[in-house]
Amino acid sequence: FHPLPWRQRVAGGYMAAKISKLEEQFQKDAPREKQKDGTSSCIFSGVAIYVNGYTDPSADELRRLMMLHGGQFHLYYTRSKTTHIIATNLPNRKIQDLKGEKVVRPEWITDSIKAGRQLSYVQYQLYTKQKGLNYSSVCARGKQDPSSIHEPSKPSLNHLQSDSIKPQPSHTQTLSTEVLKSTHANHKANFTERSNHQGSQDTLLTNGYVHPVNAALKPQDSFAELQLHVVDTGSHQSHLPQTESRDREEPSCSSSGSKANSHQRSLISTASPAKQPGLHSIVRLNGSYHMTPNSSTLADSSNPPGRSAAGAEAGIISEFFSRSRLHHISTWRNEFSEYVNALQSRSRAAGGAVFSGQEKLKKLRANCSSGVLSLWFMFVYLCSLMAAPQVRQSCILHVDMDCFFVSVGVRHRPDLKGKPVAVTSNRGPGRVAQRPGANPQLEFQYYQRKQQQYRKEKTDGDLEMTPSPQCDEVPSNGVDLDLAALSMAEIASCSYEARQAGVRNGMFFGRAKQLCPDLQSVPYDFQAYKEVALSMYETLASYTHNIEALSCDEALVDATNLLVELGVTSDDLARAIREDIKEKTGCTASVGMGSNILLARMATRKAKPNGQYFLRSEEVDDFIRGQPVSSLPGVGRSMSSKLTSLGVSTCGDLQQLSISRLQREFGPRTGQTLFRFCRGLDDRPVRSEKERKSVSAEMNYNIRFTQVEEAESFLTNLSMEVQKRMEGAGLRGRRITLKVMVRKPGAPVEPAKYGGHGICDNFARSVLLAQPTDSGQLIAAEAIKLFYAMKLDVKDMRGVGLQVQQLEGSYADPSGQGPSRGRSIKDLLLAKQPAHSPRKDPPAQGRSSVIRTEFFKSITPPSSPPSTSSDPMPGTSKGGLHHPHTPNHVRTYLNVSIEVPSPSQVDQSVLEALPVEIRKQVEQSWRHREEQPSTSSHLSTPPRTSSSPPPGPSLGTLVLQLQNQPGQPCTTGIILELPDVSQVDPEVFAALPRELQDELCSAYRNKGNAQAQGITVGKLKRRYKKRNASPAKKGPSPLKKLFPGNSPAKSSPSKTLPLPLKHPGLKTENVQCPSSPSTDVPETLSKFNPRPVPTLAGAYEFSDIRTLLHEWVTSISEPMEEDILQVVKYCTELVEDKDLEKLYLVIKYMKRLMQQSSESVWSMAFDFILDNVQVVVQQTYGSTLKIT
Amino acid sequence: MATLTRQDLNFGQVVADILCEFLEVAIHLILYVREIYPSGIFQKRKKYNVPVQMSCHPELNQYIQDTLHCVKPLIQKNEAEKVVMVIMDKEHHPVERFVFEISQPPLLSISSETLLSHVEQLLRAMILKISVCDAVLDNNPPGCTFTLLVHTREAATRNMEKVQVIKDFPWIVADEQEVHMEEAKLIPLKTMTSDILKVSHSQLFCTESQVSWLQLKHRCSRISLKSRCKT
Repeated sequence: FHPLPWRQRVAGGYMAAKISKLEEQFQKDAPREKQKDGTSSCIFSGVAIYVNGYTDPSADELRRLMMLHGGQFHLYYTRSKTTHIIATNLPNRKIQDLKGEKVVRPEWITDSIKAGRQLSYVQYQLYTKQKGLNYSSVCARGKQDPSSIHEPSKPSLNHLQSDSIKPQPSHTQTLSTEVLKSTHANHKANFTERSNHQGSQDTLLTNGYVHPVNAALKPQDSFAELQLHVVDTGSHQSHLPQTESRDREEPSCSSSGSKANSHQRSLISTASPAKQPGLHSIVRLNGSYHMTPNSSTLADSSNPPGRSAAGAEAGIISEFFSRSRLHHISTWRNEFSEYVNALQSRSRAAGGAVFSGQEKLKKLRANCSSGVLSLWFMFVYLCSLMAAPQVRQSCILHVDMDCFFVSVGVRHRPDLKGKPVAVTSNRGPGRVAQRPGANPQLEFQYYQRKQQQYRKEKTDGDLEMTPSPQCDEVPSNGVDLDLAALSMAEIASCSYEARQAGVRNGMFFGRAKQLCPDLQSVPYDFQAYKEVALSMYETLASYTHNIEALSCDEALVDATNLLVELGVTSDDLARAIREDIKEKTGCTASVGMGSNILLARMATRKAKPNGQYFLRSEEVDDFIRGQPVSSLPGVGRSMSSKLTSLGVSTCGDLQQLSISRLQREFGPRTGQTLFRFCRGLDDRPVRSEKERKSVSAEMNYNIRFTQVEEAESFLTNLSMEVQKRMEGAGLRGRRITLKVMVRKPGAPVEPAKYGGHGICDNFARSVLLAQPTDSGQLIAAEAIKLFYAMKLDVKDMRGVGLQVQQLEGSYADPSGQGPSRGRSIKDLLLAKQPAHSPRKDPPAQGRSSVIRTEFFKSITPPSSPPSTSSDPMPGTSKGGLHHPHTPNHVRTYLNVSIEVPSPSQVDQSVLEALPVEIRKQVEQSWRHREEQPSTSSHLSTPPRTSSSPPPGPSLGTLVLQLQNQPGQPCTTGIILELPDVSQVDPEVFAALPRELQDELCSAYRNKGNAQAQGITVGKLKRRYKKRNASPAKKGPSPLKKLFPGNSPAKSSPSKTLPLPLKHPGLKTENVQCPSSPSTDVPETLSKFNPRPVPTLAGAYEFSDIRTLLHEWVTSISEPMEEDILQVVKYCTELVEDKDLEKLYLVIKYMKRLMQQSSESVWSMAFDFILDNVQVVVQQTYGSTLKIT
Repeated sequence: MATLTRQDLNFGQVVADILCEFLEVAIHLILYVREIYPSGIFQKRKKYNVPVQMSCHPELNQYIQDTLHCVKPLIQKNEAEKVVMVIMDKEHHPVERFVFEISQPPLLSISSETLLSHVEQLLRAMILKISVCDAVLDNNPPGCTFTLLVHTREAATRNMEKVQVIKDFPWIVADEQEVHMEEAKLIPLKTMTSDILKVSHSQLFCTESQVSWLQLKHRCSRISLKSRCKT
């Protein structure tokens, strides 16, 4: 009955007795054995081994050895007592089972006995995935008896490091450095290291490359002290960083000669900057961790390292991040996103944006009546366009500056134009001396090998310690030897001329110089980059505000509507933009155009340099087939090598693979994305702000800890930096991940690049908090816990990163932009005031339907009064919500001024805050209005601004979840989408096409019925929300359909059919019409709910959903795409909410409804929904729903 | 009215107790409904105010109890993701799988006395659903056995070894063969949500499936109790 458990359970009684008996026996035998053999010791005290399988020496011999040397030998493995497992090979399964155990080769025992001490088992691990498990024993030993470490003769001196280095003969120098360093560290002086660092920082100033011997700049007395220390410890003299000790350097050191020379050279070169008082801050700029003030005195440097380092380090992280160049550049994207947002809101506040670029283009065209069109005129114009629908393909422009850094760098240096130029921090000849302790060859080989392994798909990433034949060859190979001494400053950008010579971005400067000897280097000029980038964005913003900032030098522009409005071709637009940019910035830009982001980006490749290319939809297929897979976004080195192994090099090849194959290889999501991308399909919208998934701060430059306390305080500081960033973004997160880079065992202690991390293993651990937090202290506490759980040797840490995920909106928005807890509704509304002002919107952009629906969803269901004072839902800010470019059908809709709430619904203070003309208009509309039968609960429902909600925290939550939460009195909180008849401006009404008029009339008739139904009204209204989500229904005509529950028969197909056709016209033609002053609609403020329940258009109960679906299917002859997407989204959320039962019922109900429907489109719609749902279910549960 | 939070020691225990009790009832009932064992070994009992079937075979009962005994600490710590009852044919290929997906809200409190009766209602609904589930399922081939698997959350496996109860009844990582079903189809049976627990109860059986169980394997989070229960 219980084959396996049984045996084990028996073990509880009999086995326990047996084991303890064996132990006794062992203890008894031990002294006897010791007597027999004279060479007993206690080196294995505390060690209990278990021998698994065949070993050499045999298990018996090992048992004897353990007896002799104070260890324990277990015949049966017990996880709790056995410390080491001895084996020479283990089956895979066992290795997995023994994960986390120390599985060691028997040589560990024999070697330890030979050495007379317990060696680190790390070198003897049987399999390599065990790394990073237990350094604690090593550390502990080091701490326990510092006295022994004072004498290098004692073998226990930091054996981990010496062990790891021994097998590499070429490493003698590293070894000595290490010994010296560790000795010093234990001397509590940390002298050499610190002085080295200071010296090296000095050097850094001139050429970005350093070697620690260069400490000669220090005051002489500190030298004496240093020397004293070195002599004291009896360590290797060769390491003395002194000019006078050069003659004592071992000539055998291959690089010491050159080192000495270069040392002298750098001494001269650094002499002057070192004297500059500004040194301190410059050092900081480089993000150096081991900071010592320039005026380092003897007393200063003899401080205990823990304390002084910690002191120096206070604020270092924020310094690092505030000065780090790369960090700067990476934050620019956010900055420019904000800039675009700011532009948009400013233009809104100012009552309309002036698109100078647009105007210019318009003049160029000179056939469009420019200026501000009156609202009504605009509407008529719109309607006329609706009658003549035109479908316009979307057009995305990808604007990318040509080798940005270079062109900015040479913009005032015409002498460099047309020459190979690279932007890099290195200004010298591209060569620097090698630092002792660094072993670039080894690193080079490692990376090379790693690359090969990539190809072979070998996963064994362990460092080979024995010098391979390849290693022996390297020194004789002149080029490679040179490489070691080449500058490792990376090239940030290089000109096209340089690229022709084979120079690439990211290449080390030294190498590039070899490829292209006349390569000119240009320094970074961050101020200029910012200026140029800003003016580029300004230029773009002068055309449209629908810009997505990708980085400092590239942006996406959704020009769909712009083109329609201006009536120009995309080529004209691109040309105008490029000329504009060229004129304003002096730098050239390339523009790629396509129907989606992917194609636009690919077209840019073709457009470069300084060109433009429009990828026409008919050319897409041919074009994309020829593209290499690596040009697809998201395909990096590892994925492309994986693809190569599948025989795929171009997108055409990729197209041959089936979606299931791709999903198998790359996972469901990536596979699908690849499948779509290689066909040129991409549905990502252009959006000005992207949701944030994580907030993190990471530093892997110059991390050299000596004490655990340092690491702790570093983590604390890093947490503070994270806190700052989270506060900046107004977010809180629940999952905290600590990422650590640890020097790979056996890798050189000093990496080739100064302060770099060298060859590292990456570890990450994360913890899930009970509540989201943005408190630095909390994060720090968790991070330190994680850090201890990882049991790392602090000395080997090379990089630390903290990441916070699972973000939610912060309660308090420090920026004051968003509503915060405890604020009154009034405050809230006042904060939004500017948004109430009329705006002359940029042309509404053809955003993807998803965004559009999201927008509507979030604004349509107004919540009940109590919820208005609560926090914004996480996710309100998602994507398009921030975007002031509300799709125009909204505006059309709003223009009809049918959405003015009843006077009772409007907060008087808000009204007062409105600009005069708007107020007048609102009041006027009230005068026309009959008494509204609305409930008093509307009273405090604020008017909806025509603008988007304030930019708040963006999150991964779906906006649909904003919908009326169950249990909320949503019935009262809902405002009819269809305004009162009295509200409809007769003029507008008259301007409507006949058809629309008819529909509106019938809608109003229906409305009367609906209200008569009393209780059901609320429900119905709620259902209508969903209808409203479809843009076509935003116009007056579809409103009729909002009341299908009462008279589905009235929505005859003949009337509804033309709607989808009108829709594009509606969408595209509502250009630059100033929005109606009376567009205020009740604002939605969703209640903060930690666990949102999926709702479909506000409906939550299954019965409601069913009615809703029923109405949808029976009243409309042809489903709108938006609605279908809405349903899919709802179903997806059900899956995510793990409410499979409801999902099942919904799907089955839809199947019945839709397949019964006479229209085949419904059948197709169902298939579409089902397919999408099945994909999600498949991803979540690994199998699909059975739908019978 | 005292408000208990998840942090309260008792609360986690209460939830685990309720769930395990329910799982035991459900497993017995499934064994009966799916005719894994001859109906002769089952007795009619009353649980949640509805008739249920419970096996009276001591070893079978012991096995189920032991298993749930080990699951309890996991549930208590919110480390169990799913409890899966796999029904296998003679060749030990899984033919159907009853998945009890357990998700506990991270931060919740109970403050109402009526809650327990509400939970009982939900559990009753689930039991009733199980008792009629054969209507939507195909008949199993004769000679089936069953096994219980627990999908744990990350890292729970390692901690498990330290718990004494689990030590006495050791678990092993499930074979791919046991977990993987060729061409599986999902039939959701019942979802219940209450303030304290959320169990979606779904079922899979053969028709079409892919490899997404691998995802779980990566995390090494799958352990199962392997045993052949055959009478």
